[in-house]
Formats: sequence, C-alpha cells, structure tokens
Amino acid sequence: MHPRYGTGLGMSLLTVTNVGRRYAMRRGLLARAVTVHAVDGVSLSLERGETLGLVGESGCGKSTTGRLVLGLEAPDGGAVHFDGAPMPAVGDAAWRKLRARMQMVFQDPLGALDRRLPIGVQVAEPLEIHNLLNPSDRPARVIELLGAVGLRPDQAERYPHELSGGQRQRAVLARALATNPDLLVCDEPISALDVSIQAQAMNLLMELQARLGMAILFISHDLRAVRQVSHRIAVMYLGRIVEMGEPDAVLHDPAHPYARALAAAIPHPGLRGQTRPVLQGDPPNPADRPSGCAFHPRCPIAEAICRTSVPALLPRQDGRQVACHAAHRSDAGVHRERAA
Amino acid sequence: MPPTDRTPVSTGKGRRDMIRFIAIRLLRSLLTIALVVTFAFVVLRLSGDPAMLIMSVDAPPEAIAAFRRSWGLDEPLWTQYLKYFGAILHGDLGRSMRDGRDAIVLVAERIPATLALTIPALLIKLGIGIPAGVHAALHRDSWSDRLVMLAAVAGFTVPSFVLGLLLVLIFAVQLGWLPSGGQESWRHAILPVITLGVGGAAVLARFTRSATLEVLGQLYIRTASAKGLSWGRVVRSHALPNAAIPTVTIVGFMVGSLIAGAVVVESVFSWPGVGRLLVVAVANRDLAVVQCILLLVAATMVTANLIVDLLYGFLDPRLRSARSAGAG
Amino acid sequence: MPEAPLPVPSPPPASVARPPRRLSKTPGLVLFALGWIATMLLVALLADQLMPYAYTALDLRNRLTPPAFLSGTWAHPLGTDELGRDVLSRLIVSIRLSLIIAFGATMLSATIGTLLGFLAAHFRGWAEQIVMALADFQAAMPFLILALSVLAFFGNALGLLVLLLGLHGWERYARIARGLAISAGAQGYAAAVRQLGASSARIYGRHVLPNIASTLIVSMTLVFPEVILLESGLSFLGLGVQPPSTSLGNMVGYGREYLTRAPWILLSPAAVIVMTTFAVSVVGDWLRDRLDPTLR
Repeated sequence: MHPRYGTGLGMSLLTVTNVGRRYAMRRGLLARAVTVHAVDGVSLSLERGETLGLVGESGCGKSTTGRLVLGLEAPDGGAVHFDGAPMPAVGDAAWRKLRARMQMVFQDPLGALDRRLPIGVQVAEPLEIHNLLNPSDRPARVIELLGAVGLRPDQAERYPHELSGGQRQRAVLARALATNPDLLVCDEPISALDVSIQAQAMNLLMELQARLGMAILFISHDLRAVRQVSHRIAVMYLGRIVEMGEPDAVLHDPAHPYARALAAAIPHPGLRGQTRPVLQGDPPNPADRPSGCAFHPRCPIAEAICRTSVPALLPRQDGRQVACHAAHRSDAGVHRERAA
Repeated sequence: MPPTDRTPVSTGKGRRDMIRFIAIRLLRSLLTIALVVTFAFVVLRLSGDPAMLIMSVDAPPEAIAAFRRSWGLDEPLWTQYLKYFGAILHGDLGRSMRDGRDAIVLVAERIPATLALTIPALLIKLGIGIPAGVHAALHRDSWSDRLVMLAAVAGFTVPSFVLGLLLVLIFAVQLGWLPSGGQESWRHAILPVITLGVGGAAVLARFTRSATLEVLGQLYIRTASAKGLSWGRVVRSHALPNAAIPTVTIVGFMVGSLIAGAVVVESVFSWPGVGRLLVVAVANRDLAVVQCILLLVAATMVTANLIVDLLYGFLDPRLRSARSAGAG
Repeated sequence: MPEAPLPVPSPPPASVARPPRRLSKTPGLVLFALGWIATMLLVALLADQLMPYAYTALDLRNRLTPPAFLSGTWAHPLGTDELGRDVLSRLIVSIRLSLIIAFGATMLSATIGTLLGFLAAHFRGWAEQIVMALADFQAAMPFLILALSVLAFFGNALGLLVLLLGLHGWERYARIARGLAISAGAQGYAAAVRQLGASSARIYGRHVLPNIASTLIVSMTLVFPEVILLESGLSFLGLGVQPPSTSLGNMVGYGREYLTRAPWILLSPAAVIVMTTFAVSVVGDWLRDRLDPTLR
C-alpha cells in the first residue's frame, strides 16, 4: 500500500521532544489574562520519506505543532531537532538558510501567494532567496516544477486570481518544492479545495513524495484524508497527542475514546450495526482546559482517576501509543490474560 | 483560534485590570507631557542663542555674558534641562525674557480672551454640526444631505484665515455692520466666533454623518427593526447612542484645542488671546512663554484625550478588548 | 489601530484622524477636480513660460491696479499689488512653490510613516510601543503649535519648512503600514515568503510595499490638501515661506493689509488654495471609494 519508510536506525530526520507552547490570551480589557496551552508536551519523530498525519478538531494545537516543527515559532519548553541539529533561533541566518530544507504548504493558497506577482516569479523566489542555480537556469527549473505539480508552462505568466483554487494550491506546492526540501509541513492543504479535487491533490502529494522522498507532516481535521496519505497518524486533543499508530489500526481499532469517536464519525459501509460512540458535552475550549485527562468531560468511559490525573502517552503491547487510563488498564488486562 | 490577543505568557496577569487600565492611561498621559516638555526644551534651546536675539548685535560682550549667566544659559544643556524639569515639577514655568514677568501669569491673563472665542465656537460646532450630520445621515442622498456635505467639504477646504478675511470683507468693509478686529465689545467677537465655529461644525457634521451611517448599516440595527420596533425608535435607541461613540473622539479633540485652537483666527482679528501671544512670543524667541503655552496646550489635550479614552471604555464594552490589545 | 486581525469599528480616541469623508461621487465633479489639478500642475511646470512679468518686477506707475474685469487693464489681468507687481505672475510662482512644498512634504511623511509602521510591525514589542506612542503624541498635539515653535526658532529656510511639514500626517501612514504588514505577516503572503527564508528587506520591499501601495497613495491624496493648508497658514502668519519668495499663503498674508483698498491681491491666491484643496480632496475621496474599501 505504501512504500516502506526508514527502519528507524540512526537519526530521524525530525525529532520533537516534549515541546510546549503557551499563549496569554485576554478576552477583554477587564478580564484576566488566561494562559492557554496550545501545545503541551508533544513528542514525535519523522523519518525521511515518511508521512505523519496529525489529526484533531480545530483549536487542538495541530497547526501550532506544525509551526513548532518548522521552527517558525520557538517552543516554551522541549526541543526540536532537524537532521540531528537543534533548531536555530527564529529569524537568524542559520534559520533562514534552513528554510530551503523545510517548507510549508498552506491552507489558503490565495492568501499564501502574492496577488501582485505572476505564479512563475513566485515559484522562482525560493531559488533567488537561497541563491540556487544560475539566474539563467531558473526559468527552466520553474517550468520543470510547474510540470511536476501538473501546471502548464504558460501558467507561469498567470496571476493567482486567474487560477482556480486547485491550481493555486499546485502553485504553492511547486514553490515549496523548488529547493528540494527534506520536510514538507502541509497545514490543512485540501480543506480550502472543492471536494471533487481533494483526492487529486492528495494523490499528487503522494506521487511527489514517492518521487522526491521528502518527509511530510500532514495536518488535517479530516481523518479520512489523513488515513489516505499517512504512514502513521497522531490524534491530538487540546494540545496533547492522545493516540499514535498505523492509520488502519487506529481507524479500525481506535484505543482512545476520542479517536474512537472520530473514527466513528466516518461513514463506514462495512461497519453498519456496530455501536457508534458519539461525542457528548461541550466542544473543547483551550482556555478552559479540564483537569486530569482533558477529554474526561466528554468521555463515555471516564472514571474518577481521569478527573485528577493526566494520562501519559505510553506504548501498548502492539506498539501503538495511547494516552488513556482505561485503555492501558484493558491492555494490561489483555496482557495478563495472554500470560495466564 | 478565537480572535484574541496572543502574547507570550510572561506578560503577567493583573488582578485589578480596571485600575491597571486607568494607571496605564495616566502613565501614558504623563509620558506624553514629558515628551512635550523635552521637545520644547530641545527645539527652543538648541535652535539658536536667545542672548544674541534679545540683546542687540553690538551689545558689549560683558552684557551678553551677564545676560546668559542670569538666565542660566551658560550652563551645560543637560543641567539646564534637569533644572527646567525640576522647576516645572515645582510649578515654576519660568519668566518671560521680554518683561521679566512670570510666564504662567502672562499666559493665564490671555486665557479668558481665548475662551471667549473658543467656547461659543464649540457650542456652534456642537449645535450645528451634530444635528446636521445626523439629519444628513437619516436623509441620505436627499438634497439636504447633499447641501450638508457640500458645506462640510467647503468647511474643510476653506482655511480659517481665508474665511475670516472674507467675513471681514463682507460684514466689516462692505456692509460696515461689524468691527473687523479688536476686543472692545461683544460685537467684536461675532466674526471670529463664526469663523471658528463654521469650519468645526462642517468637520463635525461630516464625521457625525458617516458615524451614523455606519451604525445604521450594521446588522444589529436591522435585527432591531425586524423585531417590529418603529424606525424612529430604532434610530433613537440604537443608532444614535452607537454613533455617539466615535463622535466623542472628535469632540474630545475640539475640547482639547479650546486653548490653542484659535492661533490663526486671533491673528486675523487681532484678538489678544493665547494664540496671538504665542505668535508674538515665537517671533520674539521668548522661550519661557512659548514653553509655557506648549505645556498648557499639551496638558489640555492630554487631559481631554484621557477623558475620552475612559469614556470610550465605559460607553462601548465591545471595544474594550479590541482597544486593550493596542494599549498594551 | 490595535491588533490588525481584530474588528475595530473606529480609530482609537487618542488618535484623532481626519473624520471620514464621503463626497458625492458625481463623476462630473471628479472630472472637474482632475481638470483643476492638471491645470495647476501645468502652471507649476510651465511657470517660467506663463509668467507675463518677473514676479518681483515693480511697475510703480501701476500700483494697486484692479483686475481687468474690474475696470483694470489687460496689461495686468489680475491687477497689481502695492508695489505694482503683477498679481498673476506672483500667483503663478506661488502655485509652483506651494505645490513643490506640499508635494515634497507629502512624500516625506509617507516615507517616514511607512518606514516606522514597518518597523513597528516587524519588531513588535517595545519598538512598536514607542512608534505607537509617538503616533499618539503626534495625533494629539495640534501640529500648527509644534510647527510654529520649530520654524520660528530654527529660522525659515525652505528646506526646513518642507522637513517640518513632512512630519505632518506620518502617523497615519504608520498606522496603515503597521496594520497591513501585521495582517500580511500573520497569515498571508508575507508569512509565506518569510518561511521561504526571505530577508526582511525582501519581504517588505518586494512584497508588502507593492501590496499596500494603493492604500498609501490614497492616504497621500488625503494628506496633501492638509499640507497645503498648513503651509498657507504658516506663511499667512509670516512664519512660512519668506519674501522675496512667495507662496499662496503669504500672498494672502501680505494682501491682508490692502483688504479694503485692493482685495484682489488676496482673493485670487485664496481662491486657488480653496480650489486646489477641494479638488485634491474630491479626487482622494473618489480614489478611496474606487480603489480601497479598507480606508474609511
């Protein structure tokens, strides 16, 4: 189904260790500043050629995680290592140089493009910035890049508003690929596109990855899209990863009750008749984070301990990582049964 | 993410935000005044040697040296500045270099004359400008709206000295109804007050009109009218109070310029107010008087702004969060 | 303005910007205004060719001659002043000088304001606080008072006058540039280019500036008439342009002494001031409505 990725030997391309990011948020002049833990103790790693899908509701911190991974923001705690080296300080020369190796694909391609410059000029911009190739060779490279993402050479002359949404996203992708990056962070890359062309865009992404071998962090609220492109997925809830594992496993046998609710929301022709846990309670508010397991007010199987103690993200027997008291206990139970 | 200000957490969490808000505003106001004092000092002291200007060029060097010593002009600028600041903190604004009287007294003497022009003018501005603006907004694109707008544009584009001289030409020179300058009777005040009032009324009318139009166009007004309230009621109870909020700003500015808003008009009509004093003091390089006026103007302006700011916070809770973000 | 992404319905009170203006959008009026501006520009450019006399030339036999349409002579179509100098010639030279000053000052304040706005947007934090405090200060102080003190004490060199007037209105460009740069950086093209590794000079020079240029140009057309009015006011008070140079404002100032005997000396420059500020305001409003709905 997917090309197998790195074996995990040696250094990962990207290692994120226990990063956190807090914001002070004020809701009014007379209100107190509230500390919002947008991201709280997230760890993950990414190999060359691998796609990690990051999924969760809006406000769960997945976009902030993307920005931390790229080094666009410095974490308040923890560390990000790229290719074995710590992330340089935001904005310095080393940081700017590193941009050539890690790129971002945005949710809103129209906003990410300069409406006053033709597409070709913008695709060539990373080459100019990082002084790659001879100026005379750049037009050919632009044509090549446009071709790689399925745009015609004559579309280099077009302005962003003259293209369709899907074409704009392809242009953004071409610009991101110009420097042959090792890592691509795609933040909701398809949610602004028509449903009819979302599949096309995802296929293009996978095809490019197979050809160019970059790692992808694919951020989306759409579990189906994430499953289609990812080698592994991580489910986030209120700033923390609650479950991480192989996409089919997480989808067909979710261990965390939140992941179960997400998976159940996907229409499944084959699974009719099964009970579907439905999310109850209020949607999460990052500024008012519940104590203990942040999911407990909405959780159908919450217990006393869930209100007081934050569950750690621990590997189960099958290698899947889950942050849930109940899931770990049942896993331990299964283990005991097996042992018996 | 909700549209709120995001700053790193270290900014702290104030418990008494109300007091904090007022304290910050007060601090900012004091800072502005300190800035004005510094500005005045730097500009006035560095620009030239007042001794050479006050004394005649061929005055004996000993006389010039004595003059400088007596005014502290021979000390380093830094010392002069600190002394000046210290003196101001003690309420001492220096003495006029021309006649040796206290600058503050000299200026205070002129304030009633200026207020005699600016307060009636302010009443004209409010009395004509706001009703005209509201009327124009409520009858948008009618002939009266166009008339108000035309008058408003004219009020902006005709400088006060041109308007004043035109009035003199018509009512004093041609018709001989009113005096052209001086301060002998209340009749002398009529032309300057009209000159000041008309321009301001035009500005205020234009501002009020667009503020009202904006509010009228907003969704919640439409919601209110959908609930079956009469249009007149909607206008009175929703539109006007909301339109008043931005209008407070411009009125605050007008109140703030009560003391210094008549420089040109006082010159046109030879009216012995603060503005006239300023022009003369500037021409004479009378440092203490100019600084005193600058400070007075700044203090009035800053106080008016402070009041407007606080009023704003209370008038419109919607703005509190938005404004606090920029207030920092 | 405070944070760019916030919906702020009106400017903060500390910053009394010019009130929003909405003129009638009659194209006829705009055409007339454009025609007037073009005429003024032509007059300024061709001043030397258009002047019937040198603007300082005396004609002592024809002192205080009324204009041709008021029983004067066609030798001096707009009459002469107290020294027999030709009012038309002086008017032409005044138009040129007043326009040069206003143009220079407008460019200057646009440059200063945009730069400071970018600085505030780029560094945020205390740099932004300083710029915004300065902007508040500038907006809160009556500019005429500040200008008066500076001019009288530093003398009246033309360069200084332009420099000083160039400080008028910078805070408006600064607010606009800051707000637009912040929003472009928050989620838009500027953030995208930045994460490509672009230098700040590239982001602001190549991307942000061209994108906000139309908004800035519209603001310039709104500041320009104010600068003309300021210059003429200062010159009227005798503290702006100094003789023998002449500007529209000081023609009015000097003509004032002959108000009863020779009102034409001040009426023609006064009319030009009014017409020009009116025309530029009309065109500015029209441009704003056409090009830029973000400015109100």
